Parts: sequence; C-alpha cells; structure tokens
Amino acid sequence: MVRTTICLADLPEGHTATIRDIDVDSPTAQRLLDLGFIPGTKIRAIKKAPMGDPTTFEIRGYQMGLRRSESELIDIEIKPNEKQ
Amino acid sequence: MKNNKIFLIGNPNSGKTSLFNAITGERLHVGNWPGVTVQKIEGVIRSPEKCTVLTDLPGTYSLSPATPEEKVVLESIDEASKGKILNVVDISNFERNLLLTTQLVELGLKPILSLNCYDLFTKNGGSINLQRFAALTQLNAYPTVARTGTGVNALIDCLISEEKEPSICKNPSSLDFSEKWKTVLIKCAKSFNIDWAEASPLKKHEILSKFISTSDNNLSEELIKIRNDFAQEISEESKRTIKPTNLACELAMDRYSRIEKLLAATATVPEKNLPKWQEKLDSLLTHRIMGLPMFLALMIFIFWTTFSLGEPPMGWIESGIDFLANFAESKLSEGLLSDLIINGIIHGVGGVLVFVPNILILFFWIALLEDSGYMSRAAFMMDRLMKAIGLQGRAFIPMIMGLGCNVPAIMATRIIDSKFQRFLTILLIPLVSCAARLPVLVLLCGTFFPNNPSLWMFLLFSVNIAVILLLGHFSNVIFKAVENSPFLLEMPPYRLPTFKSVLDTLKEKAWHFIEKAGTVILAGTIIIWVLSSFPRDIPLSFDYENEKTLIMSVNDETERQKALESLDSKRELEYMENRYMAKLGKAIHPIMEPLGFTWRETVSLIPGFLAKESVVSTLTVLYLPFSSDLGEAMTKSGITPLSAFVFMLFTLLYIPCLATFGVMWRESGSLKFTVSSLFIYFIIAYLASFIALKVGELMQTADGIALENILIVICSIIAAWYLINITISSISGKMCNSCSACSGCPSKTENCKGGCHK
Repeated sequence: MVRTTICLADLPEGHTATIRDIDVDSPTAQRLLDLGFIPGTKIRAIKKAPMGDPTTFEIRGYQMGLRRSESELIDIEIKPNEKQ
Repeated sequence: MKNNKIFLIGNPNSGKTSLFNAITGERLHVGNWPGVTVQKIEGVIRSPEKCTVLTDLPGTYSLSPATPEEKVVLESIDEASKGKILNVVDISNFERNLLLTTQLVELGLKPILSLNCYDLFTKNGGSINLQRFAALTQLNAYPTVARTGTGVNALIDCLISEEKEPSICKNPSSLDFSEKWKTVLIKCAKSFNIDWAEASPLKKHEILSKFISTSDNNLSEELIKIRNDFAQEISEESKRTIKPTNLACELAMDRYSRIEKLLAATATVPEKNLPKWQEKLDSLLTHRIMGLPMFLALMIFIFWTTFSLGEPPMGWIESGIDFLANFAESKLSEGLLSDLIINGIIHGVGGVLVFVPNILILFFWIALLEDSGYMSRAAFMMDRLMKAIGLQGRAFIPMIMGLGCNVPAIMATRIIDSKFQRFLTILLIPLVSCAARLPVLVLLCGTFFPNNPSLWMFLLFSVNIAVILLLGHFSNVIFKAVENSPFLLEMPPYRLPTFKSVLDTLKEKAWHFIEKAGTVILAGTIIIWVLSSFPRDIPLSFDYENEKTLIMSVNDETERQKALESLDSKRELEYMENRYMAKLGKAIHPIMEPLGFTWRETVSLIPGFLAKESVVSTLTVLYLPFSSDLGEAMTKSGITPLSAFVFMLFTLLYIPCLATFGVMWRESGSLKFTVSSLFIYFIIAYLASFIALKVGELMQTADGIALENILIVICSIIAAWYLINITISSISGKMCNSCSACSGCPSKTENCKGGCHK
C-alpha cells in the first residue's frame, strides 16, 4: 500500500486525508487538538480563499478556516482509497 | 429575595448571546472583567421568589486558554462552581461542542446543558435520545432554539428551581476521565500534596495542564517519573510508542473517543452541519473570481447606504439642535449661563446624537451579515489582504467604514474576536481619512495650490496610506511575540437573521454609544468651550461701543453694514487672541516651530480636536489682520506652499476628533491605550510632517521639483523600509513565532523559543 505523508497545507482542494500527527511544540497545537484535529481523524480541504490563503477544511462535520501557518502544523497521510 | 449566580459558558458561535437575550428579562450592565478589557455582560432572570444573575462568559472552544477572553473563562471557573453553570452546546456541531462540556465534567463540575440550534440538528436528519443522554452524562440537558425562544422556558425553570442542584458529580459521567487517567491524576495531585477529589476546579486544571505539558522543563522529578510510567503504560496498551511529551495529544484523543462513544450510544448525528445547498452557495459566494467582486459591490452598497441614507436624519438632528439653541437663546438672558447651555451643552449633545443614524444603519447591515453567516465568508476572502498590515479578514469592514466616519468604524471592530487584533484595528482606524476631513483638505488644497489641488490631495492620501501600512506592520512585528493567538475562522451554517436579534443589536449599539461615548464627547465639548470662552473680561484695545455709535451715524446703508461687520470681526479676533485657547496654543508653539508653523496655525489645531472643520474657521478669524480671504491672508503673512502642505499633512494625521477619542476609550475600555494612541498619532504626524518639510526644502533648493529628486526620495524610502525590516527581524528573531513544523526543523536554535528559522 502506498502511503504519502505531507502537511495539511499541501492538501489539494477537494481532497480528503487522515491526520497523522500534530506538532505539539507549537503553542497553537493545544487549540487544534481541542478542536478535534487529532491523529486518525478524516479531514477534507474544501477551498482556498481567492488570494490563496486561508483554506477551509471540513473536519468532524464542521468547517474551519486555517491559515497556512496553522495548517502546516498538521501532518496528514493520503491513503490511496481516499484520493477524492 | 435570594440572589443566585449562573454562568453562561460555551463555544463561540454556539448562540450564547441569543440564549442570553432570550433568558434574561433585563440587562444589568456591561462592564469589564477586572484587570482585562474583556466585556462582561450580566442580566437578571426575574421570578416571584428570587432574582438570579446570569453572567455571560466570553465564548471559548476549550478551557486551555489561548486568548485573554478565554483566560477570563478559566479564571471564573472556581466562582462558577459555587453557583450553576449553563453550558450552551451547539447540537448541530455536536462533537466539537461537547469537548468543552467534557472538560467541565473532568474538573468535577455539573453544568446544565442547553442543546442549542436543535431545529437545525433535526432538520439535517439528527435525533437524540435525551433520557439516555442524561443518564449517561449525569447532566440535565434541554433542547433549545435560542433564536426563536423555543424550549427556553423549560430551561429557565431548571435554572431557577430551588432544589439545590449539586454542582459536584456524584455518579461517574461517561464524559469523565477513564479509571486509568483518574488514577494517574490522583497520583499526580499527590506529588503536589493535593487531594484530587477535594481540589478546586481551577487547581485541578492546573495539575492537569502540568501533567500533559509538552516539555519536562519546570516539572518535579516525581512528576516526570509519573509521566514516563504512564506513557509507557498506554504505549503498551495501544501498541504505539507514546512519548511523555505527547500526552496532550493522547488526552485529546481520549476525550474525543469518550464523546464519540457517548454519541454512538445516544444519538444519530448528521454527517455535516452544512447542507448540500449551503455548500453550493458557499462555493458561489467565495468563488475564486466572482467572490471578491460580489463582496466589494456589497461593501460599496453598505457604505453608500450608511453615509448617504444617514444624511437626512443627521440633518434633522442638526436642525433640531439649532432650533433648540435658538429657543434657548430667546428664552435666556445673554450671559455666561446661556452661553454654556447653548454652545457647550446643546451643541455637545447634538455632536453626540448626530452619529446615531450612521451607527444604526451600519449596524443594521453588520447584524444581517453576522447573523446570516456571510461575515465569516467575507473575512475568509479578505484575510490574505489584511494580513499585509498585520490584521485579519474581519478587520476589512471596520477599516473601510473608517473612510466614512471613524466613530461607527471603531464600534464595528466588535466583530473582531481576538483582542489584540481588535486593538490594532482600533489603533489604525483613526488614521483612515474620514469624510469630515475631506472638506478641510479640499479647502486648504484649493487655497494653497489653486493650479492643481487634486494632485496634492493625492499626494497627501498616499502619505496617509503609507503611514497606515507602516504602523500596522511595525505594531505587528513588535507585538507578535507577546500575542500568539491562533487564527481560526469557523464557517457557520447560513441562517436567516431574525427581526428580533437585529433589533436587539441596534438597540444595544445606539444606547451603548450614547451612554458610554456620549458622556466623553459631551465633557470634551464643554472643556473646549471653556478654553475658547474664558477669561471673560478681556481689556479691549479701544472702545468698540463708542466706535459703533460713530458708525451708526454714517448715512450710507451699505457702508454702514460693512464697517459694522469689520468692526465685529476685529473684536472677535481680539477676544480670541486673549482666550485660554490662544494662550495654550502660544505655549505649545515652540514644539511646533521646527515644522514651520506660526502660532496662529498652532492655535487652530486645538479646536481641531473638537472637529477638524474648526481648524479652518479658527484660522480664518486669526488671519483677519492680513485679509478676509484665508488663502490670500496666509500667502500675505509669508506662508509658503510647502509649509501649507506640511500643515495639511499634520492636520490630516495629528489627532482624531473628540468623538473618535471617546469611542476609542469606551470600546477599548482602556484609557491608557487611548491616551498612548493619541501620543502615537501625534508623534507620527510630527515625524511625517518633519520629513515632508525637509524633503520639500531639499527639492526646492534644487531648482524646483525635478523628476530625479522624486525618484531618489522614493528609492530611499524603499531602501529604508527594507533596512528597518531586516533590523527588526534580526532583533526579534522573526520567522520563529509564526513558523510551524518546529520539531522537525533542521535549523532549530536555542534562543528562539520552540521555533526555527525557515
């Protein structure tokens, strides 16, 4: 099985992935964890803003916009069966 | 009557404020929490037997505080545990909203749940077995729809019921820690010599955050050992390697698994809170190409309605005030008292009321945008642009409104949720040139540069924009290290705004403005009045009354009128020169001298604080000895176009008007912030004017304004900008704060706390 690990900021629009890890050293991490950005959770990039940043993501049934500086903290893996 | 306290706690956007309005019959007061400038709203629930006070705590996603607002919530927990806690849970976003509930339960609290937005939940296909839910969580839960008031009565009955609801859990709730975590936390508390079961909620939170902290620094050896053992224990159990520094992540996973288990047992939760048609609407409204033009068109419409539909009522208020002033004048005998009433109080009150139409119209639109959910989409689209001046997307609307009038614009900063961002926006708005400053500039530019006034106006505005960019940029770089709240922008579902909620907002805003800012504006008006009408007895250089009778004997009607007019203005000038205002102006004149200002210009800046228009009228009087035409007079008195330009630049930037000052003070809740902002504006205006003067002088010595000189100036400004940037980033170790992916960074250094250079 081919698994690719990238950071959430690089997830293309419309694609779904699974959160693998969060950089807990960052002060923002605790907040992201509390919001449900935890390993094993499915996340979908919905769309980028007209000027390229921020991006809205769908997670746990709600939508949250994150700037690149936040979404870079999150490592994801795209499993082959969830490409779209 | 007994007095009880209830604390309202919940996620941002969970409908907390609507529920607050639906529950409370009256608002007690809006104030600040001690020490921080975060709004505190209290209301009363009236019932025959007693009077219950409901305190609305700021919205928070969790109890681990990231912003000053959220710190307030955490610090209120101990007090709240003595009374009742009402936890608003947006059931249409169930899992995430239950995290806060879980945290409350973990700390031994027993909140009453309001499952809000219940209509949306059922409409999306959700259902819940309330009895099971209550039995498993050991919490009272009431489905409510705060916007329409459905279910609120049952909730109120529970809130005011006499039966002493134990705030401390008796039976284990399914949301509480599992045995494994509880055991380790009891051990952990023991290492601090604290009994976990007896500890206050705040103390428990403290122990818990120590236990899950991401580094071993500042921890006792005993605690480090407990952490290591526990990490090993759960590693073995889950067959993954878990580092003791990663316990925060484990706890979050544990919490969400508890929530998921609970929901699986009690409810069917819709897959997403945004129905399909809303997603379609979203992709249209935030479309890559179409989104921005649509938003801008909407902004232009809002701007136009706010400031042109606001004009007629403003005119009515003005004529009403004039009528009142005339009425008072006719009834009162001329004297100090009537002068105070007419010029001080009546015009002061008028100066307050005149802003109300603008505020009402603007907030009508803002309430619609906010309630409908479009505001978050607008912020989403504008965020990248506003980031350039260190602000976030929500700051766009207040900044643009500043072009019309700074007063409603500063009030509109309420839509910004982060305190730091709000203060920065409040700081920048007064630098946005409002509509009232335009006539002053038009008049001055027309006077001094009759050939091409628009070019000079354009230059003035360019300098203005540059100043805003610079100030925003620097404040952000300087304060970034202090404030590091994450940027999170939730996209709420679209909703139809209700008439009642819009009306509530309008009522609150108008009243808040009149009550809070109005008093400051009125007081300021009276102070300026005192400065400009005392001392009363001014020795005149010659007998005007005598002169008047002499003139009266002249036969020619037009000549007599003319002579009388010139005599009157002469007398006015003499009065003005001797009043405190002129004395104050002369006293501070040495400070202004390096800018090439005469004392007359310095004096005119003082009433300019009341309203910028007064600068021109004061100048006209002061320059009477030279000519009755201001432009001619100033040229005659030896003022060059250059010093006139510098004066205009200074007028544009130096200090916001009194009303803006009042609103800044009241909206920020901090006099220190407001006064230091005034100093900042003054210093900026001074520096900008000084630079303009020196640059202008340089260009004048080089035979008029040559193109290459302008180019040199522009290049040096860019170079200076670049240099300052480099200096600041080297001092503050920039790229450390906002940078992510820290742990994996190869160039991570000691002196950048937890950050890296990327």
